[in-house]
Amino acid sequence: MTTSLSERYIAATIKGLPEHMHDEVRLELEASIGDAVEARIEDGDHQEVAERAVLTELGDPAVLAAGYADRPLQLIGPKYFLTWWRLLKRLLVIVPIAVLVVVIITQLLSNGTLGDIIGESIAASATALVHVGFWTTLAFAVMERTGTETGVSWDLDKLPDPRQERPGAGDLIASLVFLGIMIAVILWDQTRGFIRIDDDPVPMLNPDLWPWSMVGLFAIILAEIGFAIILYVHARWNTTLAIANTVLAAIFLSWAITLLARGELFSGEFLALWIDNGVSQSALYTLGVVLGLGIVIICVWDVIDGWIKTSKSRV
Amino acid sequence: MVEAFEVHLQEIRRGTVVLACLQLLRTPGYGYGLLQDLENLGIATEANTLYPLLRRLEKQGHLTSSWDTNEARPRKFYQTSATGQKLAQAMYEEWNKLTKAIHGVHHEPQNPEEN
Repeated sequence: MTTSLSERYIAATIKGLPEHMHDEVRLELEASIGDAVEARIEDGDHQEVAERAVLTELGDPAVLAAGYADRPLQLIGPKYFLTWWRLLKRLLVIVPIAVLVVVIITQLLSNGTLGDIIGESIAASATALVHVGFWTTLAFAVMERTGTETGVSWDLDKLPDPRQERPGAGDLIASLVFLGIMIAVILWDQTRGFIRIDDDPVPMLNPDLWPWSMVGLFAIILAEIGFAIILYVHARWNTTLAIANTVLAAIFLSWAITLLARGELFSGEFLALWIDNGVSQSALYTLGVVLGLGIVIICVWDVIDGWIKTSKSRV
Repeated sequence: MVEAFEVHLQEIRRGTVVLACLQLLRTPGYGYGLLQDLENLGIATEANTLYPLLRRLEKQGHLTSSWDTNEARPRKFYQTSATGQKLAQAMYEEWNKLTKAIHGVHHEPQNPEEN
């Protein structure tokens, strides 16, 4: 009884379904549509009129397919919306500002004009905004479709201690985005260069770090990524995780401080740029010390933060 | 005014389709036939809601299905499973409880100006 219009309708419906459902849904729809058309013809409708009426009543094939596949008809549903929105707001502030700072510093060092600085800043910040929005939303849209737990659920038991922090998907995505950006920045710096003088790239990190020190750094970053995932899966800090976090921080700290102290962290060209721009040797030394202290403070804070969260999650 | 009510009426009807399907399908039935039965009962349902719903209930184990190929048009017949019957019983009890509760708070419509 099915004619081309019904066939087209059914084809459009099962196109949006997984392969294994095709045959069954086709047969079932053929029967259901056929029955409905037949009933209308018995009531006195013409075949074509009846078919049009039945298919119109069934509505958009994409909606029907979503019903069959049990698929959400929304990008991010209520389960994830608040987590997504809170994380997005946070990232939309942090990332563009970080990018802005990097761009301004690199432009200053490569003697960019004021126009260059403003132009580049706006362009880079806008790009960063688009990327943050896109990737964060994509991650949550995927979670919506795979049904991943965010770990950020709200229930009354968590109310008594609002400061108790439970690592959730927000933390995971923030970690992954940050570490991913770090890898991208290092690779970009080493291959294309953020600073260009007369179109020649000036790497900030010392190219002599290749291969071993660089491989070491990437190993540390990969370990951090692994740690972030384990922490997310585990959903709770414990002593083992806090120890692992401490070890990772210690390894990174010794990597950075050793190279910084030996003067091997930054490339000679990059340091020469500072001197060329009127920064004295001793001021540069002071900046190095400040940077070293900054790294120490961040690492120590990371370690302490891990232990604080561990002790809180024991309660 | 009636349109503004429709959203709320829809909310009340939502769960009744599942319960009615589970009860009707104690004897095996197929998609379009069930649609007609529901309409005759006064529980009007859209075809594009009912068909995916049957599939979902089958996936959840509340319905079983088999193909009847004896007639010219092969049809998928659904029947309520043992767990489906338990679900129907639980929903029915809930329905009765709610009906009783709603009766308890029901007031006959009156003209507010009479007060």
